[in-house]
Amino acid sequence: MSDDYPSLLRSEQMSLVQLFVPTEVAHDTVAQLGELGNVQFKDLNPNVNPFQRSFVGEIRRIDEMSRRVRFFATRIQQEQDVVPIRPLPESAPINTTGPRAAQTMDELDVTLAAHEQRLTQMNDSYQELSERTKDLVEARHVLRETAVFFDKAQVQQINIRTSFDDSAAPLLRNDDCENQYSSGAVGQFDLEFIAGTIDRTRVSTFERVLWRVLRGNLYMNHTDIVEPFIDPVTREETRKNVFIIFAHGDVILAKIRKVAESMGATLYPIDANADKRADTLREVEGRLEDIQNILYNTGSTRRSELIKIGESLRNWQEVVRKEKLIYETLNLFNYDLRRKTLIAEGWVPTRDISGIQIALRRATVESGASIPPIVHELRTHKTPPTFIRTNKFTEGFQTIMDSYGIASYQEINPGLFAVITFPFLFAVMFGDIGHGFIIFVAALYMILAERKLAKIELDEMISPFFYGRYIILLMGLFSMYTGLMYNDIFSRSLHLWHSAWDFSTTGEKLVGVDNGYRYPFGLDPGWHGADNNLVFLNSYKMKMSIVLGVIDMTFALCLQLFNHIRFKRSLDIYANFVPQMIFLQSIFGYLVICILYKWSIDWSKASTSPPSLLNMLISMFLSPGKVDPAEQLYPGQPFVQVILLLLAAVCVPWLLVTKPYFAWKEMHQIKKQGYVGIAGNDESLDGVLEDEEEGAVVEDGDEDEQHDFGDVVIHQVIHTIEFCLNCISHTASYLRLWALSLAHAQLSEVFWSLAQALQSTLDPGMIGWIISVIVWLMWFSFTVGVLCCMEGLSAFLHALRLHWVESNSKHFEAGGYVRDSFCSWTLAS
Amino acid sequence: MEALLFNVDSGFLEGTVRGYKAGILTQSHYNSLIQCETLEDFRTQLSATDYGNFLANEPLPISTATITDKATGILVDQFKYLRNNAVEPLSKFLDYITYGYMIDNVILLITGTLHERDTHELIERCHPLGVFDSMPALCVASNVEELYQSVLVETPLAPYFRSCLSASDLDDLNIEIIRNTVYKAYLEDFYAFCSNSSSNSNSSYATPGLNAATTSVMQRILAFEADRRTVNITINSFNTELSKEERAKLFPCIGRLFPEGNNQLAKADEIEQVRAVCESVGEYRQFFSDSSNGSAGENADGSEPNTLSHLESHFFQTEVYLNKLAFLQQFQYGVFYAYVKLKEQEIRNITWIAECIAQNARERVGEIVPIF
Repeated sequence: MSDDYPSLLRSEQMSLVQLFVPTEVAHDTVAQLGELGNVQFKDLNPNVNPFQRSFVGEIRRIDEMSRRVRFFATRIQQEQDVVPIRPLPESAPINTTGPRAAQTMDELDVTLAAHEQRLTQMNDSYQELSERTKDLVEARHVLRETAVFFDKAQVQQINIRTSFDDSAAPLLRNDDCENQYSSGAVGQFDLEFIAGTIDRTRVSTFERVLWRVLRGNLYMNHTDIVEPFIDPVTREETRKNVFIIFAHGDVILAKIRKVAESMGATLYPIDANADKRADTLREVEGRLEDIQNILYNTGSTRRSELIKIGESLRNWQEVVRKEKLIYETLNLFNYDLRRKTLIAEGWVPTRDISGIQIALRRATVESGASIPPIVHELRTHKTPPTFIRTNKFTEGFQTIMDSYGIASYQEINPGLFAVITFPFLFAVMFGDIGHGFIIFVAALYMILAERKLAKIELDEMISPFFYGRYIILLMGLFSMYTGLMYNDIFSRSLHLWHSAWDFSTTGEKLVGVDNGYRYPFGLDPGWHGADNNLVFLNSYKMKMSIVLGVIDMTFALCLQLFNHIRFKRSLDIYANFVPQMIFLQSIFGYLVICILYKWSIDWSKASTSPPSLLNMLISMFLSPGKVDPAEQLYPGQPFVQVILLLLAAVCVPWLLVTKPYFAWKEMHQIKKQGYVGIAGNDESLDGVLEDEEEGAVVEDGDEDEQHDFGDVVIHQVIHTIEFCLNCISHTASYLRLWALSLAHAQLSEVFWSLAQALQSTLDPGMIGWIISVIVWLMWFSFTVGVLCCMEGLSAFLHALRLHWVESNSKHFEAGGYVRDSFCSWTLAS
Repeated sequence: MEALLFNVDSGFLEGTVRGYKAGILTQSHYNSLIQCETLEDFRTQLSATDYGNFLANEPLPISTATITDKATGILVDQFKYLRNNAVEPLSKFLDYITYGYMIDNVILLITGTLHERDTHELIERCHPLGVFDSMPALCVASNVEELYQSVLVETPLAPYFRSCLSASDLDDLNIEIIRNTVYKAYLEDFYAFCSNSSSNSNSSYATPGLNAATTSVMQRILAFEADRRTVNITINSFNTELSKEERAKLFPCIGRLFPEGNNQLAKADEIEQVRAVCESVGEYRQFFSDSSNGSAGENADGSEPNTLSHLESHFFQTEVYLNKLAFLQQFQYGVFYAYVKLKEQEIRNITWIAECIAQNARERVGEIVPIF
């Protein structure tokens, strides 16, 4: 076999295996396989209701346990002061495998139940006490606030009395003296009243209803209680108001009481007598103090209980989660007839089978059972799931391709090539040493701080960047490279070597003169600032995009060949690959060669004038065989072009007809041999035979699609039209490399010259310095924000599109389905 | 034109409600729910549906009441989400849906107070969609006048109650009359709102009107609702002290039986006459067909409860059918009403199944109205 090591080129080879697991080791086996995490189990009882499955009792028990654990977790969260939760790695693991597993689970169950009971009990008493505290606090507030009303009323009365009795003095307002007079004043209070507290949001409704009930005769006072009441369980704040309503007559008072109670108000009996009020206040405060003491004690015991729970909470969560997964997996298994063994089927990477066998043996040893589970490989017609092993470096690139489509089983995986092509195409659009360096450094930081950042919950904006940190790293590196090629650093150029151009003044202009040097690498800095800089760059980058595009498409087309070879579809090579390749090369391959050839000629010394390649390509189609000799690129050009055009023209019918023809011929041959299509019958017969040989049951669920001749024709017609048109449109599509690169360069130049212009207007001196620092800081933030982030994102999107549409359409079938493995525990958390 | 601009204001919400609708339990869900042996199975089974783990945090012996409460809670949350995101006229339309629940709550509170139940217990039993601020104060009132003056005057229900102020005392019969009068007023008003005739003096709509699609869908549903009430009132008023003139006043002046069907029903004395009236409308013809075949009128007393329960389930089925029809048309508000009603029916179904499981009455578990 060629793939001794797992590679990204093709998805893993998978095998369908059957496991015979004795019931007593089933749990441990699944636990072991779960640690390994590379088996995808098939549901063998798809028709069975979830609650009729074998292990539903266990699952229910675990559900109950997990409810308790959740209950603890919410309680701990609701606690005002942070309760420490010991992280998982630091706590001793609970072993749920082996012979003592059942006992461990029972113990855990009992522990959880006991904790829950204790906690609920404590909560209840805590809540009750809080409730009483709340009542007392409210009572105190009512007493205090009503006192204010009464005092005011009293003062008024006293004021009234002063007109008759001169002996009363303002002194009376003093608290000391008030008591003496209160007994006298009580007599004045023949008005009855009701006092209490009510939710602040309801005050207005309450007032309105009362006003209507009392037919407008409402005398009501209310004030806010400043501090909020906090519910001991839900930690919600409620704000309340104290109210006092004066009314007269039993019927009306009863009515008010009824309204108040139904609106959720709490009424407190308040005495009109100031003395008695003071007594009550004292009593209330005394009781409040007592209760608060008890409350504190209850709170602290509850807290210590929570701390104790917090020590093993993570552990419990982990165990419960694991156990639930294990039993859910076990539910996918089938019992054999005697119910002694469980039968499981699943997809396994072929190379991992030995690892699985080792895990199974380990499970047997650990559980102390005598019979080991048996692994048995099945032969099947079903398409295995696609499983591509990635590491943290390739994961991002693979995800880019997976979001387009999951590769078919064993198909060439474009994710591998994307590792290089993706950052490269990005960099062509983003070429600037400075900007490349910025994103390189950002990515480098994320990679170096990887462990730290992975632990923190990143927000929605940053986490995708963190996920793609290796992509960004490569993008930065490649951008620095293309930046060197374009000789661009923040829109300035580097003078590393001697430029090929000397500038001397002739008349009013600076004119560059060739001095015989050749700039060895990248763009000559002499172009920078030249009048024809843009003309030169545009022509250069445009042609470069076409060259890169055609190379990319040719490469993608070649990948098709490997797929055809792999799947032994020789017909496809002759009927699809070869004509497609010829078609592409005879038109656009030729264009690329012309571009390169044109670059290699020194046109200042040539006898003909440089031809426009675009016109050349157009006239190749419109007037074949005719080339203006004045603009001829090379001798014999008309002949070559006619040949190429004919080649391309031949390819179209070739592509269109060959495959349907062979399909038709094959069909004809089968008919001639006397076979009559009984759809899918021989297929299942094969399966049955195979079953008998293997002694195992293979479900042949999905039958092979019967390819109709008509389907083949229509498919091929669409394919041909699509390919021929796409060749043209895709080549044009690669021009986005040029467009984005141009836009990027221009934008960065705008920012630079703007900053430069601003700075040059400043006077030298202290203020000038400060302002110029600000200007350059702004320039930098614009560079990072607009050029690196926004421009970077747009270049990213275009690179994405070039991969998904232009490149993938040439070879990628993407007909696979993803392997959702029965995940390994450690990752899933 | 309406369809063109509908999505500007209501497209998101219509999409949302259609998404919610996709979560309504189907026949296959019911099939597996019916097979459950215990309420725990029931919970496991429900957790596989859109209800998710809404019962996951309940301690173990689950009661049917908890299931109903939690399920209603989900509906209420969804409705509030819709209501909070709605703009006129959809918000008004959604408000209209809640009025029905408000009327039920008011009647519940009055009846409860009449029988001297605890107010807080009553308030807990109220439907959460029909709760309003001053609702608790209802229990103070002892007659309709007071009720209206002290509480209802500031609620949107005020116009509906205005017409029954004459009823002096609150007793069971009067409350029943009030309920039906108010509901009649409500249905007529809602119907007018949906028809957007805006000349109705009771309510002044300064709001943009509903579109024609809404009108046609809602008129169909509300007409049926009105007919259902008419038939129910007629049947329930047999052998009571309600006079025929009073009975006629309770019939909503909309629906397919209106007007001549209503006139005949007002004079009806026995169930056969009701049947005769209903047969004049094609869709209602089958409501009585089962019963007449089964007992053929030989002993009227024995067959009557049977007929009524049949009738009731026929009504529910037709309601579900009409509400399902509402989803066939796009760019209209009927889906919001229909969704609430369908969900309500679903909660009734769930409760019924749960009750049957809890009380071991498995032979009757199939008597539900499946929706999809």
